[in-house]
Amino acid sequence: MAILSINGKRYELDLPDNMPLLWVLRDYLKLTGTKYGCGIGQCGACTIHLEGEPMRSCTLPISALEGKKITTIEHYADKKVLHPVQKAWIEEDVAQCGYCQSGQIMGAIALLDKKGRPNDEDIYNAMSGHLCRCGTYLRIKKAIKTAAQNG
Amino acid sequence: MDSINRRHFLKISGISGGGLLLSAMIPFGCVTEEKELIDWEPNFFIRIQSDNQITFSCSQSEMGQGTSTGLAMIMADELGAKLEDLKFVFAPGSEEKFQHLQDTGGSNGLRMMYQPLREAAATTREILIEAAAQKWGLPKSNLYAEDGMVKEKGSDRLIPFGELLEVAQNLSAPSEIPLKDKSDFKYIGQSVRSQKSKQIALGRLPYSIDVKLPGMVYAAIQRCPVWKGSLISFDDSEARKIPGVIDVIAMEGTELQAMDYKGGVRPGVAVIAENTWAAFEGKKALNIEWNLGPNAQKSESDLKKELEESKTNNSIVSFDFKEGQASFSKGKKILEASYESPFQVNACMEPLNAVADHNGYKVEIWSGTQAPSLTRERISELTKLPPAAITVHNPPSGGGFGRRFFVDFVEEAVILSRQLKRPVKVTWSREDTIATNKYHPYRVEYWSAALDSENQPLGLSYHGVVSRPGGYRPYPYGLPMIFHNRLDYKEGNLLPRASWRSVFAHPWGLGMECFIDELAFEAGQDPLQFRLDLLDKSEVFLQKRLPYVGDDLYPQKLKRTLEMVGEKAGWGKSKEDNVYQGVSAFAYNTSYCSQIADVSVVEGKVKVHKVTAVIDCGLAINPSQVKSQVEGSIIWGLSATLKDAIQVSNGAVLQKNFHDYDLLRIRECPEIEVFIVDSDDPPSGTGEPAVPGIAPAVLNAVFAATGKRIRKIPIANEDLLG
Repeated sequence: MAILSINGKRYELDLPDNMPLLWVLRDYLKLTGTKYGCGIGQCGACTIHLEGEPMRSCTLPISALEGKKITTIEHYADKKVLHPVQKAWIEEDVAQCGYCQSGQIMGAIALLDKKGRPNDEDIYNAMSGHLCRCGTYLRIKKAIKTAAQNG
Repeated sequence: MDSINRRHFLKISGISGGGLLLSAMIPFGCVTEEKELIDWEPNFFIRIQSDNQITFSCSQSEMGQGTSTGLAMIMADELGAKLEDLKFVFAPGSEEKFQHLQDTGGSNGLRMMYQPLREAAATTREILIEAAAQKWGLPKSNLYAEDGMVKEKGSDRLIPFGELLEVAQNLSAPSEIPLKDKSDFKYIGQSVRSQKSKQIALGRLPYSIDVKLPGMVYAAIQRCPVWKGSLISFDDSEARKIPGVIDVIAMEGTELQAMDYKGGVRPGVAVIAENTWAAFEGKKALNIEWNLGPNAQKSESDLKKELEESKTNNSIVSFDFKEGQASFSKGKKILEASYESPFQVNACMEPLNAVADHNGYKVEIWSGTQAPSLTRERISELTKLPPAAITVHNPPSGGGFGRRFFVDFVEEAVILSRQLKRPVKVTWSREDTIATNKYHPYRVEYWSAALDSENQPLGLSYHGVVSRPGGYRPYPYGLPMIFHNRLDYKEGNLLPRASWRSVFAHPWGLGMECFIDELAFEAGQDPLQFRLDLLDKSEVFLQKRLPYVGDDLYPQKLKRTLEMVGEKAGWGKSKEDNVYQGVSAFAYNTSYCSQIADVSVVEGKVKVHKVTAVIDCGLAINPSQVKSQVEGSIIWGLSATLKDAIQVSNGAVLQKNFHDYDLLRIRECPEIEVFIVDSDDPPSGTGEPAVPGIAPAVLNAVFAATGKRIRKIPIANEDLLG
């Protein structure tokens, strides 16, 4: 039995200890905003925040997460006011297929929490772990800068 | 999923809650009002209800290419409605309603639907105007439609569409249906954000991989690692020990059909589980014995041999071959080159998946497919149930790029659901999508040219993927050209084929645009000016390819993009140290795209600094999305030019996941500037035309920088060192 705190809610889960958080979110908790992309931490589609740090949920077994604060894209979706990163993503018309974008947004929020005015190098360091097959990188970079200005 | 049901659901919740929602939506607060709701569907694209809800039923698949937004803009403009008021639904697969036009590929969505959609919307608008004219006793000419209402010119009299339905639904269409003038468009030509933008930013866009049905089980399949191999036996004892694994079953493949979009499911072993992860883990724990079949010893070098063999004694199919042959007999010198491109895989970010519920007499499917209509047809063939018993829901997908035009991944879910008699979701692991997928084929393209004593080209000869120039000729230059029969592998495919963004235009463009550059160099001419001159010598070529019409080739349109890109990228002007430029020009269907890449090569390492692209796609419905498509195409093509290859050894793919099939990342992404040619011609596609030109633009820049001709992608550093 694992007890997890996700988006401020407490969940008691009777699931195998080594099950990655990603699949608990997606297949059991209906938190499907977090996406499966590769299962080996190479693409960033499954990015969540663990104690505020961006982490790949596909490689995080639930046994390692007890007592830690987990935040998913749904935390930002359920608020009345959009996060500046979400606003910028809409304003800059970033998404194409959109599948990687929850992960990209979670990566960008974590970046801006640390660095209010990131330069290109900061953006590359924070976001190079996020793949996008549609090729939205230029707009992602622009949206992060827009969010930094408006945040 | 159906918008109407959802609306009813909302209203009923309002009633049971007894709150404001009820009074806001049903003025008389009476459930029987529901029955009097007029729901008018004048055609398959539009539904208008008496509560003024206008629903746009999008026939085309949305996979990120923006077609659904573009089509909605066309609909809103021609109907006279507010874009933000349109409710979106994606039409389930239906041959009866949309024919195979519904199946979305070849960058054809807007191109094929522009006219029929406008006509459907205009007819609806004219009927509504007629209804208002009758209601008010005014001549039609005094009325117009705007913002979902019919209005009287020069007065503030107006009536919402919903209040006209009682009259409108009994009217015939007027005999004259005028289409709007470009100057009356509110949306077409403006940059409009994707209709899914907000849902995506909230993480709420539902993909088929997110579907969960009551009683559904999760399946993962270990497919045979070698194409044409078969299953001998398997030991599932370890797999069954994994918590959550329900069952392990053998999975028969399906035959690849004559139309290769259908069939071609590899045989394998399916693990059925309570969740996706258990299914994946179970798959890893299987011990399987395969018969690896006829491809078990093969690799690309065997294919190259087969292509070379196919080249000898290959017959000429060109209609201007006499002129071509004359140029070769006159020529003093022959220049030859071949260009090699590897297998590639689409690697859509949403791995392939499908949910199927086969209950014995009907099948319901949820899958982000590019071909809902073809899928329905194929599943009907496979299950021997009539098409009417098959429903294919088609939510947006996490990338298609051609791969989701193929039906095999839906076939798997249907086969398992039929066997298990319950809803099944099949999810491909990333390893499955890299190592046991369908692939963009390995190709070698052979070009030669006859040169005169001054090294000026007289004519060309080509063996490769493009054939039948009488039906399709994407060759724009004014030099006689000998086409030959398409080169093929004598022993069939080593890996099954999938369409991959720009399909065979990619190897064709790679060869042509590199070879033209080589000819310019031999002739001692500037490569951009050389192309302009050859385009001036060329004539309009009317294609005869059916059923798709309009693939006519206008060399002057291509020339215009090339002139513009030269200007925008500062061609011929001095650049920063070490930065060199390469150019390409390419015609794709009725779109034209020229590109210039700014590249440096330092210690054998190629860095692309900037790409400038000019596209002529006819009328640009949504410039923001045209630019995203061109940017995305360039980034797609750069992954293939600089990084990715699928390699085969002993019949099996060597790459497994993103660690060894690594796409271009944000740090590697060059600056990209896209310009759109101003045009009033009908819209043509934008999803693919920029893909084939980027590899040659980069390779030509590499030559400018180093003097080395690289004729194989991805570029290998060792070819540039030494």
